[in-house]
Amino acid sequence: MSTVKSDEAMLVRVQRENFSIDVEIDRVRNRSKRIGGIATFLGTARDRSQGREISSITFEHYEGMAQKKLREIRTRALQDFDVIEVVILHRYGDIAIGENIVLIVVGAEHRAEAFKACKWCIDELKHITPIWKLEHTPEGEVWVEQHP
Amino acid sequence: MTVTVRLFGMLRTLAENQPEIVVAVNGRHQVNDLIEALQTLYPEVGELLLKKNVLVSVNHEIAHGETEISSADEIAFLPPFAGGAGGEWRGGPHVHG
Repeated sequence: MSTVKSDEAMLVRVQRENFSIDVEIDRVRNRSKRIGGIATFLGTARDRSQGREISSITFEHYEGMAQKKLREIRTRALQDFDVIEVVILHRYGDIAIGENIVLIVVGAEHRAEAFKACKWCIDELKHITPIWKLEHTPEGEVWVEQHP
Repeated sequence: MTVTVRLFGMLRTLAENQPEIVVAVNGRHQVNDLIEALQTLYPEVGELLLKKNVLVSVNHEIAHGETEISSADEIAFLPPFAGGAGGEWRGGPHVHG
């Protein structure tokens, strides 16, 4: 098992560079030997949106507030679900089609709570985190207002 | 009193890509007064504030119309998020409330 830093600053990040899913899973796995299930959600950049062809995506975030909201989500997930550790990452900047955008990793003793907390985290992230998405299409650029 | 307002997403695009604007605020120095001043200074931005569910944050927390502001506050206009506006503010006070 690799040794991965797991201080709080690493558990919630908004970063330009790509991330390794394996490293982030290890970060959660290494937190406790009680963990028996790890649920993940990985959001990636798709090439179509609302009938439009997408060539690439740019994410903009509100530095400081975005991190604050992600920390709040992690804290609430740890309080409200029977889970042991949560990692939340979101990228910003220019992202090519197929690349990673967002990652949630939740470790728990059992899978049911891990799945529930993971779904709650990504839903909440999309509702309260000040991150904006600019889709680049052959017809021009479109700021996306909402997503299912 | 003047305040600096950070702009994001489509609001920044509308304001000719300015990341922030300086607005003179009169009245009671509340968020509502800022919006009123902005509608005169930047009509396109003001129109979007009326049409869209734009939120206002003061020092990284969502504010409402009666929230008091000062020059030292970090104020931002937040257009609808990529994931859909709402969340903790569903049914809460709107920017014009």
